[in-house]
Amino acid sequence: MSELSKMRNIGISAHIDSGKTTLSERILFYANRIHAIHEVRGKDGVGATMDSMELEKERGITIASAATNVTWKDHPINIIDTPGHVDFTIEVERSLRVLDGAILVLCSVAGVQSQSITVDRQMKRYNVPRIAFINKCDRTGANPLRVKQQLVDKLGLNAVLLQIPIGLEDRLEGVVDLITMKAIYFDGPAGDQLRYEEIPAELVDQANEKREEMLDSISLCSDELMEAMLEENVTEELIYKAIRKGTIALELVPVLMGSAYKNKGIQPLLDAVIGYLPNPTEVTNTALDLDNDEQSVVLKSDENLPPVILGFKLEDGQYGQLTYIRIYQGKIKKGDELINTRSRKKFKIGRLVKMHASSMEDINEAGCGDIAALFGIDCASGDTFCHPSLNYSMTSMFVPTPVISLSINPVDKKSADNMAKALNRFTKEDPTFNTYVDPESNQTIIQGMGELHLEVYVERMRREYKAEVVTDRPEVAYREAISQRAEFNYTHKKQTGGSGQYARVAGYIEPIMETDDEDAKDYEFVDQIKGGVIPTEYIPSCDKGFQLALKKGTQLGFPIVGVRAVINDGAYHPVDSSDQAFQTAALSAFRDVYEKAKPVILEPVMKVSVEGPTEFQGNIFGSINQRRGIIISSTEDGASCTVDAEVPLSEMFGYSTVLRSLTQGKAEFTMELAKYAKVPQSVSEELKKAYEEKKKKEQSK
Amino acid sequence: MEIQELNELSPLRAFDKSLGGGLGKGNLGVLVSRHGVGKTACLVHLATDKLFRNEHIIHVSFSGNVEHVIGWYKEVFRQISENRDLEDASEVYNEILANRVVMNFSQENVSVEKVLNSLETLIRQGSFNADAVMFDGYHLTEMSEEDVRKIKQFALDMRLEVWFSVSPVKMNVNYDEYGVPDTMLKYEQLIDVLIGLKYNERMDKVIMTLVKDGATIDPKPMQVTLDPKTMLIVD
Repeated sequence: MSELSKMRNIGISAHIDSGKTTLSERILFYANRIHAIHEVRGKDGVGATMDSMELEKERGITIASAATNVTWKDHPINIIDTPGHVDFTIEVERSLRVLDGAILVLCSVAGVQSQSITVDRQMKRYNVPRIAFINKCDRTGANPLRVKQQLVDKLGLNAVLLQIPIGLEDRLEGVVDLITMKAIYFDGPAGDQLRYEEIPAELVDQANEKREEMLDSISLCSDELMEAMLEENVTEELIYKAIRKGTIALELVPVLMGSAYKNKGIQPLLDAVIGYLPNPTEVTNTALDLDNDEQSVVLKSDENLPPVILGFKLEDGQYGQLTYIRIYQGKIKKGDELINTRSRKKFKIGRLVKMHASSMEDINEAGCGDIAALFGIDCASGDTFCHPSLNYSMTSMFVPTPVISLSINPVDKKSADNMAKALNRFTKEDPTFNTYVDPESNQTIIQGMGELHLEVYVERMRREYKAEVVTDRPEVAYREAISQRAEFNYTHKKQTGGSGQYARVAGYIEPIMETDDEDAKDYEFVDQIKGGVIPTEYIPSCDKGFQLALKKGTQLGFPIVGVRAVINDGAYHPVDSSDQAFQTAALSAFRDVYEKAKPVILEPVMKVSVEGPTEFQGNIFGSINQRRGIIISSTEDGASCTVDAEVPLSEMFGYSTVLRSLTQGKAEFTMELAKYAKVPQSVSEELKKAYEEKKKKEQSK
Repeated sequence: MEIQELNELSPLRAFDKSLGGGLGKGNLGVLVSRHGVGKTACLVHLATDKLFRNEHIIHVSFSGNVEHVIGWYKEVFRQISENRDLEDASEVYNEILANRVVMNFSQENVSVEKVLNSLETLIRQGSFNADAVMFDGYHLTEMSEEDVRKIKQFALDMRLEVWFSVSPVKMNVNYDEYGVPDTMLKYEQLIDVLIGLKYNERMDKVIMTLVKDGATIDPKPMQVTLDPKTMLIVD
């Protein structure tokens, strides 16, 4: 168990351009270097002769991997890559599950940006304790104190400065540690020689003042420290303990700073990771018991219990598919049998590996809390593997439905083959990414959560799979729905020689209203048949018939949602009735009554957040207004403003280009699905017209 | 109950009646009290009533936390719609949301010009036809008389009804029997309506007193009070 208490599973999250990659590189470099020194002894000095080019190359490789194991001061740290963009929400959230703690990287100039807010919200949802690192303190306009204040104001975090900078911008020299009250300088070309000095005279007053502030905030999390302060008996030990306690309880967020690019402040950050972020035993993880209505069960970091494992990321390795896993409970050995609780398939663990910064290591067993990888397991990303005696799932089986689709056409035969391979892989990796062949147009359609989401996959097809494809205009995934109750009474009769068909169904359809607690269900079938006017064996056929009708609405050809179909009367014929007859009757009854139920079209509406300088506020308002958007709120903070709005997805195509030109490239936006909402009458007429024309065109072909 | 009936039965009709038919566009109204009496809820109730009657509202807050403000609206809406058993409540809510914008300023000492400038940008470039602006927790007592005149002029120019909820900034403030702090007095002639809120322990109600209405300064209790539990205006 001593090993487990040393282990850290962390992620590094950041807004684009706040220097996440550089920081990750530096962490690998420093941590790995020390690790290498340990390792190298007795191994012919392989590590020692490494030149910088090779190191550079290796760093490149390691950054790309989903989880990297490094060692810092005898503590194994698994660094889990967290994808940056909100379009990949499901991937971000999946990796957040795996983390026990995180470093939130912020730019000292730009401060808390829209994406920092999104990421922080996700971390809050998964209760991930975090450390903030204010990077780029060497940049012009750097103001770490302002950024710290933004953490408080914008993210509502109890952010506590543990350091102050020595010099800023191009004069950044190091940091003052407010706990030890020492100045730390980072010497040597790689900044790997730490020099501790007295605090420079001009910073002593500021350091004292900030230390007081720090102690005041921290002491709120620890009575012990509070007492020590009253008795003027504060020790470093007590401070460390209090910060650790507060951070893990999510009551405070320690703030450190530096510049990854200039090699400043990284080692203290690593110390903080070990010092303040939790080990796997200090985090409560829960799984859902699939045998028990997805009731949540607490998992225990106990090696003797049956194993529960999450496969959080797939990667194509040289030797086949690599599945990154986190072990939440129990331990696993080579040859153990596990079950994939989604596919219900059993498998044996063949090859088990651990990814280090510079190499891959074959291991025989992996323990609780650890991150490892399996080779050659057929699974999808997000699958849970359990001991065959359990039926747990780490993630709910709920997956958001895609909101956008795009038809893609390979340019030649070779691309077609490669495209198939790529699509097969992507759908496994990402449950929010779908693909199918449209039976009418015979085109391959991909579906996802946003324009960018699909663009990235198309780009990956080109780069990684050499599949050249031509894409069409993206299309919004509309839905159809009914707005009022309507009754039906339909008789299906056919008497054309041979055996006839007869079935009569009667009842009504009505919209399912959403309640406060949950979203409306897509479909519900209610059987109110009395006295066997429709024999029991034909009831499921009616259900099937309705479901068939719902697959494709007659307004736009999109699925119909939120319908309750109730049957309460009917008739059958002892000879001519059949499953098929009742299915057809239900299908036709629905089609027949659909118009009477006042059908409407629903469209995905996105929650859009635009961030930019205040001087462009008017342009931002205007651009949202032109897009049938509703402005929810606008927040001004000095020179920058954030506008939150709800805008239909169909109006958001190409918005990034428009926004760029409206604001001289100084504004940016993020969006995620907010809800499905009714399309206004005028738009709905246009959509229907376009659909009719498209149908005619296809028929004339 | 349908929305029209709900509006007719609303205690806000009695509120408007006390003011001789409402505050009216181009005028400034102030709700004032000690901290924690329920001004924000009261302001949100006023705003929600306007939204129910198809008016467009800009809610200006200085808290730095938009979610908090939106939470208030949700809560006030929920209470009203449940009390009155409103039909199609979630649809009504989505509809009225389109008519409300929350404008938030994180900086404490943002200037009046800046605020008015942003409001005008929203109204003109965002094509948001606001009928009323609700200033929540504005440090009115810290402002110069000139600033208040600017807001009054803005209200006249843009045809807006403007409401403030005001709490005194300083600690050593004296309140009169209606809950109005003495720091408010110098603005009395600049504003059109002044309502004081004060908790009455014996009645367990927040008494609303119309201290000033138009030109007359003749404090009299309004027909409505504030329920200290729900923080809503009641008959």
